[in-house]
Amino acid sequence: MAATTTSRRATRWLRESAWRHLLLWLALVFALFPILFVVSAAFNPLGTLSSSRLVPTGAGLDNARRLFQETPFGSWYVNSVVIALTNAAVTVFLSALAAYAFSRFRFTGRRVGLVGILLIQMFPQFLAIVAIYLMFTTVTDYWPTVGFDTRWGLMLVYLGGALSVNTWMMKGFFDTVPVELDESAKVDGATHAQAFFRIMLPLVTPVLAIVGLLVFISTVNEFLIASVFLRDPESKTVALGLYGLISGERNANFGIFAMGTLLIALPTMAVFWFLQRFIVEGLTSGSVKG
Amino acid sequence: MKIRSARVMTGVAALALLATACGGGDDTAAPEDAAEGTMVIWADPERTEALMPFAERFGGAHGVTVDVQSIPNEDLQDNFVTAHQAGSGPDLVVGAHDWTGNLVRNGAIDPVQLPQDKADGFEPVSLDAVTFDGRLYGVPYAMENLVLFRNTDLAPDAPATVEELVAIGSGLKDAGEVDEILSLQVGAEGDAYHIYPFYSSAGGYLFGEGENGSLDPADMGVGQDASIEAFEKIAELGESGDGALKRSIDNQNAGPLFNDGKTAFYVSGPWAIPDMKTAGIPYDITPIPGFEDGGEARPFIGVQAFFVASGGANKVLAQEFVTNFVAEPELAVALYEADPRPPALTEALEMVSEQDPDLARVVEAGANGDPLPSLPEMSAIWGPFGQAEAAVIAGEDVATAVGSAGESITDQIG
Amino acid sequence: MGASEGAPTPRANDGPAVSAAGLALKACALGLAASLGVWAAVPLFDAANWVGLGIVAAVTALIFYAYLSPRHVPLKYLLPGTLLLVAFQILPVLYTVSTSVTNFGDGHRGDKEQAIAAIEAYSVVRAPDSTDYALTVAADGDPATGGLVFLLTAPDGAVYAGDAEGLTGLAPGDVTADPSGRITGADGYTVLTTGQINDRGGEVADLAVPTGDGSGIRSSGLSAAYEGTATRTYQEDCDCVVDSATGVEYAADEEAGLFVSADGEALLQGWQVGVGADNFLRFLTDRTVASSFFSILTWNIGFAAGTTFLVFTLGLALALLMHTRKPLRGQSLYRILLVLPYAMPSFAMLLLWRDMFNVDFGLINRMLGLDVDWLGGTWTARGSILLVNTWLGFPYMFLVATGALQAVPRELGQAARIDGASAWQAFRDVTLPLLMVAMTPILISTFAFNFNNFNAVWLTTAGGPFSPDNPLAGSTDLLITYTFRLAFGGQGAQYGFASAVSVFIFLIVAILSLVSLRQSRALEEVR
Repeated sequence: MAATTTSRRATRWLRESAWRHLLLWLALVFALFPILFVVSAAFNPLGTLSSSRLVPTGAGLDNARRLFQETPFGSWYVNSVVIALTNAAVTVFLSALAAYAFSRFRFTGRRVGLVGILLIQMFPQFLAIVAIYLMFTTVTDYWPTVGFDTRWGLMLVYLGGALSVNTWMMKGFFDTVPVELDESAKVDGATHAQAFFRIMLPLVTPVLAIVGLLVFISTVNEFLIASVFLRDPESKTVALGLYGLISGERNANFGIFAMGTLLIALPTMAVFWFLQRFIVEGLTSGSVKG
Repeated sequence: MKIRSARVMTGVAALALLATACGGGDDTAAPEDAAEGTMVIWADPERTEALMPFAERFGGAHGVTVDVQSIPNEDLQDNFVTAHQAGSGPDLVVGAHDWTGNLVRNGAIDPVQLPQDKADGFEPVSLDAVTFDGRLYGVPYAMENLVLFRNTDLAPDAPATVEELVAIGSGLKDAGEVDEILSLQVGAEGDAYHIYPFYSSAGGYLFGEGENGSLDPADMGVGQDASIEAFEKIAELGESGDGALKRSIDNQNAGPLFNDGKTAFYVSGPWAIPDMKTAGIPYDITPIPGFEDGGEARPFIGVQAFFVASGGANKVLAQEFVTNFVAEPELAVALYEADPRPPALTEALEMVSEQDPDLARVVEAGANGDPLPSLPEMSAIWGPFGQAEAAVIAGEDVATAVGSAGESITDQIG
Repeated sequence: MGASEGAPTPRANDGPAVSAAGLALKACALGLAASLGVWAAVPLFDAANWVGLGIVAAVTALIFYAYLSPRHVPLKYLLPGTLLLVAFQILPVLYTVSTSVTNFGDGHRGDKEQAIAAIEAYSVVRAPDSTDYALTVAADGDPATGGLVFLLTAPDGAVYAGDAEGLTGLAPGDVTADPSGRITGADGYTVLTTGQINDRGGEVADLAVPTGDGSGIRSSGLSAAYEGTATRTYQEDCDCVVDSATGVEYAADEEAGLFVSADGEALLQGWQVGVGADNFLRFLTDRTVASSFFSILTWNIGFAAGTTFLVFTLGLALALLMHTRKPLRGQSLYRILLVLPYAMPSFAMLLLWRDMFNVDFGLINRMLGLDVDWLGGTWTARGSILLVNTWLGFPYMFLVATGALQAVPRELGQAARIDGASAWQAFRDVTLPLLMVAMTPILISTFAFNFNNFNAVWLTTAGGPFSPDNPLAGSTDLLITYTFRLAFGGQGAQYGFASAVSVFIFLIVAILSLVSLRQSRALEEVR
């Protein structure tokens, strides 16, 4: 593999990357132009989601000021990040455990389990909120610590979805790790748990990072279930708080909303930035996987 | 490799733990708050903050904790009814009067007995709105209705009729001073709330009045001849008529059109005023005009009210709160300051009208309005009625559109 | 969890140190589980809730069994996630299924007793010439247990004590009153504090001091009382509600969960009853359903499949663009910016897109100089929704494809190319099939998600455009938006009906998914 000449590689790289960049720029235009309106609305004191105003009539931080003065945005922000990070970390862990079992063991109920976690999510959710109310009214009576008005109850409900298509995604990735690796480790006296933690997990960081990011994003944006649990104004998440500001209001100010949206995109970007190196780690790990 | 992945795991775990720990610090342990002797009020986020000082005062006066919790407006009624059914609802809920019928049907609220001297202090229409089947179910604190806003630079004089409005607007449009004759939100699915003043002026009605003066769900007006005639008039204003009503004007762009000076007339409510002030548009508020040969245009009156939950653990306190506390002008004024709608309490209305002349004009514009029907059957009206409106404005056959809307509504009411 | 029970072979020399740590961890975890079990059991024990206690004990025992027994190794990995799945996903689904055979919904949420209580409470009318009294709540003796007494001041200044037996006059000399006339103390009675009243809130609210003719003086808050009459009462002998003002009898109809009079008038408050297969039959026999079901279903499948295809193609293409041996310059930034549409709250973005498609004011027509009513025509609306949904969904697929590509050994593709295959052939014949093994379940789940993607339709077209003669089914309606309009648009929420249709929708999407799962290699054993 090492024998290609540098000059040939250089020209090829140039030729390859030029069109790649061109196409990526096109994709960026498609991806970002609606978001330009969000930026425009965020800096427009009369923020509207109306696309007739791409150029703000007045640029200013008025919306940011109102966001911080009129709402407990700081605590919302902390809540969002805390809940999303915790949920992402625990979901990744629980899902990886299950994916390992599905990938490495053969047991009765394996197929049913795999198909089941895929199918259960297809059920229309019309009654989800009603069911949660019925269930957590009892929970709140007995164990108020994990009941309504607590973030623990909310996180429990979120974790109910830990086994999902994400588990499939992980299992697919686990399957590509040669079985010989954990078997040779077991011959060396490692337990299955050691094989999982020391052999498997290090080799599958890309999928862990991706699932972590996906869960983080969806948790940050979730507000329907959150509205049942987080009713104290201070305890809300950003998505819930912002939704509350514009929901059902005839004079919805999308300016504040847009500003909040941009601010909550920042931790998502930071988390992605942090995880990105683990996502592409597979690029260098090809030799290990052999 | 191993080290890196170990790092990412520990990194994420540590961050999460740290965050949880930090978060745990300022989380003043909600469970304690939820203890007995706490009266809970549910409101939407807009009003929560304004209620808090009063909740504290009430709590202080009666030796209880009062907790104000907020739920997004759109989910508030559903969550309240569901929580009531599950047995974990609040003691009081702040909401719109047109919920009354559904809340009563679900047994979720208690009737309120307002002593006559207290009742006399409220604007009569606001009490009518929360009266269902002859009984009072809530204590109102604010009202709202649609008005006609006019850009006084573009149109110095208020139009007396719809025809006059269209004439002035068309003149301005032909002169190139504005883009649109009128900004009244319709949208692709129509908007029954905003078209109702014109519909009522043209002789249409939703529910007829029964013997005791309350609305009769058995007499549903959509699809009857009067409603078809009314929609014929609306069709004349539509896209294949004068072009004053357009489906492309919706809840998102109706306000910006007026605030950008692209139209001289705008049908909306008091909630639209703050943006006009920010935009610096010179405006005046007048009643929505009716058709020349029609009746008065009657906007819907919406009322915001406090309801006592029938499943609450502190019903006595909750009743006390609504009968003696909500009837105080100070609370109404504070709620006005959080969200500028005219107070339902006459004294408070007079107090704020002095500083804010707009309010008096809004109330005047709604003087002949109809309370938004609070019958549970009303929920069957919105969709089909709006779609009929959109179809008619698009230029479709009026009798077909209105007739099939009437049929679907009747089907749904069952 | 990290102990040795799974290893049948004798432990090698280097094992013990690690296993000790693992054992300690495991002990900690089990200890935590045990203390959680105890913590959960205490309130149940206090309330004598033996069923709940049994469940807690069984779950705790299961946890201990799973992690202490050397057998059932997979269970050790599956248990935590599965317990949560059962509690918060499977139970709600079972609840939905059980609701589908009831009339549960607005007006039929509670049981019969609750309906009766509401009917009686709502029938209290203020007596026509009623007097308003100033009220002080007191007790005859002990504040917590003594009989409740209303100390009342009439507008003319007369004072009374009223209890469940009736009204007795008080001598003005025996009472002290504040300037407004409200009693602050009376001989022989203990005036209750607010807290004490609130503790006995139910009793206070129920007390009606009888004044003859079925009227009673009832409290209205802490400081006022009025004379009122309950005009409707439930009578057990006829299982009916009788209206004393009109004399009409409303008989209980256990099939409908309503009290109905002889001329068919039903009282508003009903209760929940089982209705068997009625909800299913209603859906199957509804005339509007019959005329629109198949066109809706066809578009629904087209929408879900189209979205899945588009997001997959675009996402995979972008992932491949960046799947270079040497990192592309700026690829971190590209990735982050491409993921942004997914990181934005989708409900707001849907509203924004709807605005961009506006015929007169939308950006798209203005930029392209067109006058197309995008959301007003059947096919333009469908195309627009697909475009919007692609925009919302491609970053997800891009991320997933990026991950899946990492799992495909690059060497395979290179080997194919050395054998003379073109880049496209190498991708199509070698990389793509491998990729599809990992991607198929994701695609199926994307399909299923979009099959029920309520928001994507509701917030853009709301199911429209509608033909003027059928306001119930629009050209872009999915089964789920259509159901929503039927079940929640008419008479408030009809959960029973919505559940029944949910079961239908689930069956359709589950069968479609199972068939495609079987046709793919996703379920085949890898080893």
